[in-house]
Amino acid sequence: MVLEKVKEMLADKLGMSPDEITEDAKFVDLGLDSLDIAEMLMNTEDAFGVSVEPDASLTTVGALVEKIESLMGDQ
Amino acid sequence: MIDSPISRMLGLRYPVFQGGMAWISDGRLAAAVSEAGGLGIISAMNAEAGYLKEQIALARSLTDKPFGVNIMLMSPHVEEVAKTVIEEKVPAVTTGAGSAGKYIPLWKEAGIRVFPVVASVASAKMAERAGADAVIAEGQESGGHIGEMTTMALVPQVCDAVSIPVLAAGGIADGRGMAAALMLGACGVQMGTRFLVATECGVHQNYKDMVLRATDISTVTTGRRFGGNTCRGIKNPFTREFLRVEYEPTTTAEDVANLGAGALRRAAVMGDVKTGSVLAGQIAGMVKEEMPAADILREVCEGCEALLGKGSSWVK
Repeated sequence: MVLEKVKEMLADKLGMSPDEITEDAKFVDLGLDSLDIAEMLMNTEDAFGVSVEPDASLTTVGALVEKIESLMGDQ
Repeated sequence: MIDSPISRMLGLRYPVFQGGMAWISDGRLAAAVSEAGGLGIISAMNAEAGYLKEQIALARSLTDKPFGVNIMLMSPHVEEVAKTVIEEKVPAVTTGAGSAGKYIPLWKEAGIRVFPVVASVASAKMAERAGADAVIAEGQESGGHIGEMTTMALVPQVCDAVSIPVLAAGGIADGRGMAAALMLGACGVQMGTRFLVATECGVHQNYKDMVLRATDISTVTTGRRFGGNTCRGIKNPFTREFLRVEYEPTTTAEDVANLGAGALRRAAVMGDVKTGSVLAGQIAGMVKEEMPAADILREVCEGCEALLGKGSSWVK
């Protein structure tokens, strides 16, 4: 569910279809820079109610989803 | 009310020009802006004189107020549209993408007020020398074809360099931006992005939606690598593919110049905002509501007046 929502948010931002975004897609390959990623993190806060801190290891869609899920599990 | 030499020169209620946006600024949008007291502007874009004549007739059927025509000097039809504005007795012309020096004397002789869009002090001085009535100093916050300077840095330097009035453009969409522009020395503003979402703007709804959904960091520039073709628009698959090709080692300046062909029309007319070019300025992130041009003008100018009225509160 988190993966679907994150894909949807990215697709919306990038003007792509959610199907074109895979779990192992790298943000850099999707054309996102650090400012775009910061914006994504702020949006995930609204969408999932968790605060994801910027972290250099969050380079893929899957890593972000995993991070959100683990933060949601902690709540 | 804001009293400005630009308003007096053209008989406007508000010293606000609506930017001439190719494929977007037609007779209907221009008439709506002019009817509400600003200066509406029809884009002559790359079209033949026949298109311009139709749009002028359309505007005249909707308003008796003055409006202008934007002439892109690189248009293959520039010679004929330069004559059309004289024949049609259009009161104002703005120019972009080149030096207007060659045409200014003809237009002046016909009583047309001329406003070149400039992106540097040198271009502003050349425009003044050629007889321009004022210049529009446009910063790179703008959508579409842009220079390198920002509005904040460009406007005061142009104001210092010329003795004709200066309008500011680029990054202005509300009363705050307009008040700031006046503080920088401008005596009017031009807005494009804000009018993209005017009710009377006929650009495709998909395009409007992209502007309404944009955030502060949604725009990107393409065509910077070889200069002369820098264009600002909203990031989408088109800009990503453009930038990928632009920075490939074997890509030439000519390749880049051809990359954008037909892309604006695809987005603005056909509504293909994936493979089309959605040109808009950096201020798109602040443009959140579609409303009639008259409401836009009123909101921006009343906001500006309120802020300027409070300006003295800073000084103790």
